[in-house]
Amino acid sequence: MRRNTLSVISAVLIGCLSSLPTPAQHSSSPGPSTSPLAAEAGHALLDRYCSDCHNVVDWAGGIAYDTLDFDHISNDAQTWEKVVRKLRTQAMPPAGKPRPDKAGYDSLATFLETRLDAAATAEPNPGRPAAVHRLNRVEYTNAIRDLLGIEVDAASLFPADESSAGFDNDGDILSTSALLMERYLIAARQISRTAVGDPTLRPSTTTYDAPVTGLQLDRESEDLPFGSRGGLVVKHSFPLDGEYRIRVRLQRTKGIEGPRIIGVGEPHELDVRLDGKRIKLFAMGGDKDLRPDQVEDSLEVRFPALAGTRLVGVTFLDDALAPEGMQRPLQAAIQLRGWGPRDDSMRPPGVQSVSISGPYNVRSNPDSLRRNRLFVCRPGAATEEESCARRILAGLARHAYRRPVTAADIDSLIVYYRSGHDAAQDSNGHQTGEEGNRFQEGIRSALQAMLVSPDFLFRMELDPPDARGPYRISDLELASRLSFFLWTSIPDEELLQSAAAGRLAQPAVLEQQVRRMLADPRSKMLVEDFMGQWLGLRTLSTLQPDILAFPDFDDDLRAAFERETDLLFTRMLAEDRSVVDMLDAKDAYVNERLARAYGIPNVYGGRFRHMTLADQNRLGILGKGAILTLTSLPNRTSPVLRGQWVLTNIMGAPNPPPPPDVPTFPEKKDTDFTQLTVRQRLEGHRTNPACAGCHARMDPLGFAFDSFDAIGEWRKVESDPVFASPELPVVHTPIDSSGVLPDGTKVQGPAELRQVLMREPRNFVYVVSEKLLTYALGRGLDYHDAPAVRKIVTDAARTDYRWSSVILGIVRSTPFQMRAPVQTEAHPTPALKTAALGKSPRLATLAKSAGTVAPATGAH
Amino acid sequence: MLIFKKSIPRRSVLKGLGASIAMPLLDAMVPALAKPAETFKAPHRLAIVFVPNGMWPMDKWTPKAEGPLEITPTLEPLTAFRDRLVMVSGLAQKEALPQPGDPTSEHMRASGTFLTGVRPKQIKGEAHGGVSVDQLAAQQLGKDTQLASLEMSMMANHDLVGVCQNNLSCLFVNTLCWKNSTTALPMATNPRTVFERLFGDVDTTDRQEQLVRLREQKSVLDGMKQRAGSLIDKMGAADRARLDEYVDSIRDIERRIQIAEAQSDRELPKLQRPAGVPANFDDYYKMMVDLQVVAYQADLTRVMTFMMGREGPDGGLAYPHIGVPDVHHNISHHGGDPVKVEKLFRINQYHAANFGYFLQKLQSVREGEGTLLDHAVILYGSSLANANVHQDDNLPILLAGGANGRLKGGRHVRVPDRTPLTNLHLALLDMVDAPVDKLGDSAGKLDQIFA
Repeated sequence: MRRNTLSVISAVLIGCLSSLPTPAQHSSSPGPSTSPLAAEAGHALLDRYCSDCHNVVDWAGGIAYDTLDFDHISNDAQTWEKVVRKLRTQAMPPAGKPRPDKAGYDSLATFLETRLDAAATAEPNPGRPAAVHRLNRVEYTNAIRDLLGIEVDAASLFPADESSAGFDNDGDILSTSALLMERYLIAARQISRTAVGDPTLRPSTTTYDAPVTGLQLDRESEDLPFGSRGGLVVKHSFPLDGEYRIRVRLQRTKGIEGPRIIGVGEPHELDVRLDGKRIKLFAMGGDKDLRPDQVEDSLEVRFPALAGTRLVGVTFLDDALAPEGMQRPLQAAIQLRGWGPRDDSMRPPGVQSVSISGPYNVRSNPDSLRRNRLFVCRPGAATEEESCARRILAGLARHAYRRPVTAADIDSLIVYYRSGHDAAQDSNGHQTGEEGNRFQEGIRSALQAMLVSPDFLFRMELDPPDARGPYRISDLELASRLSFFLWTSIPDEELLQSAAAGRLAQPAVLEQQVRRMLADPRSKMLVEDFMGQWLGLRTLSTLQPDILAFPDFDDDLRAAFERETDLLFTRMLAEDRSVVDMLDAKDAYVNERLARAYGIPNVYGGRFRHMTLADQNRLGILGKGAILTLTSLPNRTSPVLRGQWVLTNIMGAPNPPPPPDVPTFPEKKDTDFTQLTVRQRLEGHRTNPACAGCHARMDPLGFAFDSFDAIGEWRKVESDPVFASPELPVVHTPIDSSGVLPDGTKVQGPAELRQVLMREPRNFVYVVSEKLLTYALGRGLDYHDAPAVRKIVTDAARTDYRWSSVILGIVRSTPFQMRAPVQTEAHPTPALKTAALGKSPRLATLAKSAGTVAPATGAH
Repeated sequence: MLIFKKSIPRRSVLKGLGASIAMPLLDAMVPALAKPAETFKAPHRLAIVFVPNGMWPMDKWTPKAEGPLEITPTLEPLTAFRDRLVMVSGLAQKEALPQPGDPTSEHMRASGTFLTGVRPKQIKGEAHGGVSVDQLAAQQLGKDTQLASLEMSMMANHDLVGVCQNNLSCLFVNTLCWKNSTTALPMATNPRTVFERLFGDVDTTDRQEQLVRLREQKSVLDGMKQRAGSLIDKMGAADRARLDEYVDSIRDIERRIQIAEAQSDRELPKLQRPAGVPANFDDYYKMMVDLQVVAYQADLTRVMTFMMGREGPDGGLAYPHIGVPDVHHNISHHGGDPVKVEKLFRINQYHAANFGYFLQKLQSVREGEGTLLDHAVILYGSSLANANVHQDDNLPILLAGGANGRLKGGRHVRVPDRTPLTNLHLALLDMVDAPVDKLGDSAGKLDQIFA
């Protein structure tokens, strides 16, 4: 190991700063595989390509290599990790400056990584997720489902959770307010009443709305019968055995003499089904003068239903001969704007909403105790009640609290059991003497308390009393980390048992459990919850493309986008494909509506089917409507958004936010009717040096996708302005999807760009692993997590980056298995690295010429 | 719509007087129940009604002259309330302007600044703002009510979570209200949730049912507070924050239960729990307003903030039922297109009409010698003027109500250009007896608006 020679500048600095406390000594040993030669070569590269800007005079980006100790890389791990990312993604030097060749980039990055990883192995810092981590509303909902078999609608029960680091399960920001606490109380009461089948439950109404711009011209769902058209199907939770009422409202239009139901002019038949079985067939319409109330008052059916979650379908019998999926252009616009056929009474009717009310005439069912999975025992005599209650509550609490329960846990629940038992009322609100009811109410009352208990609402990881440094978390904590990662829910009995027996941490057991959990249907949450947030797909539901620019966009297409990506990810996981396949898989799932948008012929009907794509431009997620739409603006494509999306999500090298005083994009002004395309207007980026640095990276990536319009349909020309104003001429400009990447690579169109991205699959796997680890830990990652992420990627490379190997890598990683206790977490960061200056003679000279250099902070 | 099961009994027994006296509607609910009606002093109340994406064209909003208020085309639906309105022109939010280092998120800053005068920021992923004027009022006015304040918006079915424009948290457009610089208050969007917030987990506003529920909750909370306490004891200081929050939340609810029990002889309007969000926008709007009026009427809270729509491009509303199917934000960037400008005007007038419904409801409820409208002050307006260029000065701001005699209506006040909006907020706080000296970028108090 070479010693540093202190340069003049460092001597000056030490003179100035000698009163500062000396920085904490980090042990640092160069990695076994790095030779002094590699260090020498690496340093030469930095000197040649980087130091022109990153030096103590310019402090570009807050980094000056002459302040960093190249022999003790791990002392400045935070900075060097940034450098590694820039090298791996070739994000620096900026476009136009000389840059090293690929081998140069790789050798320096490898050198740095090897040293950083060795230091991390010697002294691991697993980080520290929040010790008290509130369940978010998705986790809460799933926990209730797995605990009690009840589906609850979290969106109507709880306010949305805020998110950070891209996910809404970040323990550091999941806070608790009085408002939320009130909601927990309300939810606990409703859920506990449903769980025990409380016969005093009052009727309530749930209303399900059909999407406003859904056209209802097709069979809407695979859960609706063939030959049906429009309507909707919902999963509804029926709390008790009893009678329920369904009311249907139909789409209406503004008539001259008040609102009119669409389609009343002709007779139609409306089919209502429960779990696929018809419970009512209404005949409606046939007279165009019918008022809405005359039609809808009769659209009400009362029927008996058993408690449980059931499918309710409401749909029209299809009376037209047109094949499924036929849609006339501008249909959505017509419907929304009220243009369309002159006579709305002759158009096909649509369902606006379905309301389900109940229960009425509840059957007090003595069997409910036996049937209900909650009641694992039934007291035969009054004297057996409490012991039975203890048994029931112990079983529930074990799963709700995700750990073996103590006698104290049960004792505190029994208090609620007794008060509920004694206060029980019958269905008329009178004190009841019936033992069955009293027992049931006791259990309900204890369950209600359990569901607002901190032991249920918070995942807690407590430091062992003697923890000095990073420690391995307990098996039970590991079980919870696993289940919330893979299922977004509580551990099941098998996982709990294995943890309680102390076997879960054994590598073979752990792997077997992970594989079992991935095979379980509950792992679909990885698709819904993780993928939905990671790729920003959740926001798809709130986007509304401009209806005049994109009259072809409607809720059916939006739903198809969502379904397509869901099915695609599900397949990737189920087949344990390579993570990299996300970029170039030939798989697609389309129905007729989506196939038409993609220009795929011969696909009929609403069912989604798997197909193998021939069109190179559509391969992988980058060719899918969902991503292309959510990276666009409502009225036009945005190469900038798409470019930044690729940088962030595929390459892992996002640009920083735009600097201040950026002139806004030259949208059309009232006085400026020049016919420039988006591309032409973006050319300004190239001429303005303040913009060029970042836009030289973003724009060409975005341009490559410009053949896809803002809702992901293929186009050859940009029509401008789109319907802006009737007096303006519409100009069609051919799309130019070519661009030059910062390293000089020329790309044209999506297919070519994808091939360029595929050259560095490791970057993509790195981003995926980073996101997945963030999600798994429920905390934002920091520089000290980078060695763990690299290990996950490197290990997964051996099995061609299969999903299971990445997921297993995360489960085995240091941050997932370990935790830093609170006292060792804060690493003192010295304001200036006084002992680490001036390695390069040229830099030393530079520094000297600048006189005394004492930047206020090393990084900003 | 709320279903009034039966009319409120007009005859009710005043405790302590031993006589049955005919009472005006709802007087039975004023706090000073045992006192004779003459000594009744109405509480101060503050409401904020926010409309998003500016107010264009402004020349249809602002009257030409100062002095007596002229009804302009946008205000036309409010004609009946002319004498209760004060328009204030010339206010600005300088903190909404971009500064070096700010991302280009004008709408986010505009709504984040509206009630705070503090530029919203994101620091290490965490949202930072400043305390908002409603919350300062709530600190005083909330002392005797079950809820310190109520926050609501019309954004049901338009939930936004996570990252919005420019990687900033959606929090900045999801709410206007900040309890302090790091705690943003979520807005309730579902009428059912609002009902439950006001009256608890009950199906009707029946007092008996409510008391049974409160007692049950109290016993559950007692146990949970203990349990959290024992967990806290086992934790290091740094880890306790989240559980402390949990305990604090319980204390808040306990305080509320106490007030509710103390007020249990007060009669409530008979309402049923709404089923959920009505499909029809107008029904939805009316239901939300009815609940706000009931909240005042029953003195459950004295401070309310109501967001008629979300500012900016993320998850905005469209109004197809008034012939504007376009997303509001998109056409607010009208680029001078007369078609878009006409649609904006239509939205503005529609919002004004909806605001009129609120005023009319407040006026219809008698309280003491006057009406709820006499005893409240309401701030109505938008955080931008011309949203096309994100204009943050000459904001459209309107005051309504009597503020217990402190606000004289029928006026148009013009203040010097770029007077901070927070100067007005400070004057409002004075008006409701919750004075503070400084709020965000304030530079003095706007005393001109006092009668």
